Amino acid sequence: MLFLANPARFMSFSAWAAPLTLVLALALFAVGLPWGLFFSPADYQQGETVRIMYLHVPAAWWSLGIYVFMGAASLVGLVWRHVLADLAARSAAPIGAAFAWICLATGSLWGAPTWGTWWEWDGRLTSMLVLFVIYLGYIALWNAVEDEEKAARLAAILCLAGLINIPIVHFSVDWWSTLHQPASILRAEGPSIHPSMLGPLFTMAAAFLFLVAALAMMNMRAAIYRRRIEAARVRGADA
Amino acid sequence: MIESGWAYIWGAYALALVTLLVLTLVVMLRLAHWSKRARSLERKP
Repeated sequence: MLFLANPARFMSFSAWAAPLTLVLALALFAVGLPWGLFFSPADYQQGETVRIMYLHVPAAWWSLGIYVFMGAASLVGLVWRHVLADLAARSAAPIGAAFAWICLATGSLWGAPTWGTWWEWDGRLTSMLVLFVIYLGYIALWNAVEDEEKAARLAAILCLAGLINIPIVHFSVDWWSTLHQPASILRAEGPSIHPSMLGPLFTMAAAFLFLVAALAMMNMRAAIYRRRIEAARVRGADA
Repeated sequence: MIESGWAYIWGAYALALVTLLVLTLVVMLRLAHWSKRARSLERKP
């Protein structure tokens, strides 16, 4: 990972890695989508609506994963003032926000037929909504402050403060009596769901992960190009 | 067991895929825009 901390090296690496990961993501979606929609069994309790899980769960996992990545990048940016770390956190934020939105919306579409309600203010749903709002606040903060160095510092502090919400989202189903079911995959005793459902679930999780990698790299490339243009403009004005 | 529910399933898949498609298009267009501007700047003497 460290060799990517150099902008020139990152640009030459992402020039081939971004399209490759995008193609891998599309290939995994081409397998995972029909697998989850048509070739996996219905659940004995949830019926056909279990198919929504193949979108909802990967979106939930990676919206949390992206935030943890942003937290680590923000810490590096804040402590070592590394420009690429700030850009990495900023580039990942819209993807995390989109995933949190997908998680909330698909969860609501699953809750309506299963729970009989679109929304419930329980620990898991509320903490996930808080995560979505933190993502939006983080993006808004970057855009609201004109001085990019100051914006990076403030956004990093907000991101690190928001990290407290990640264990709350994860453990909310254990800490409080919630409508949301407890963890069924990421638990010490192993997954409790049938192996026939794990295949499409992990395929979709891998598709989402490769999409995150591709889009984050593309966003970072765009940000580096933009910085180069601005630096050239400043040099032109100074000359 | 919950009967059917396909309307919710199609709704969820349509919503998620449209979100991912729009996100991907925006990211690709943004990259194309800035890389084009950076290359035209590099070509200038």
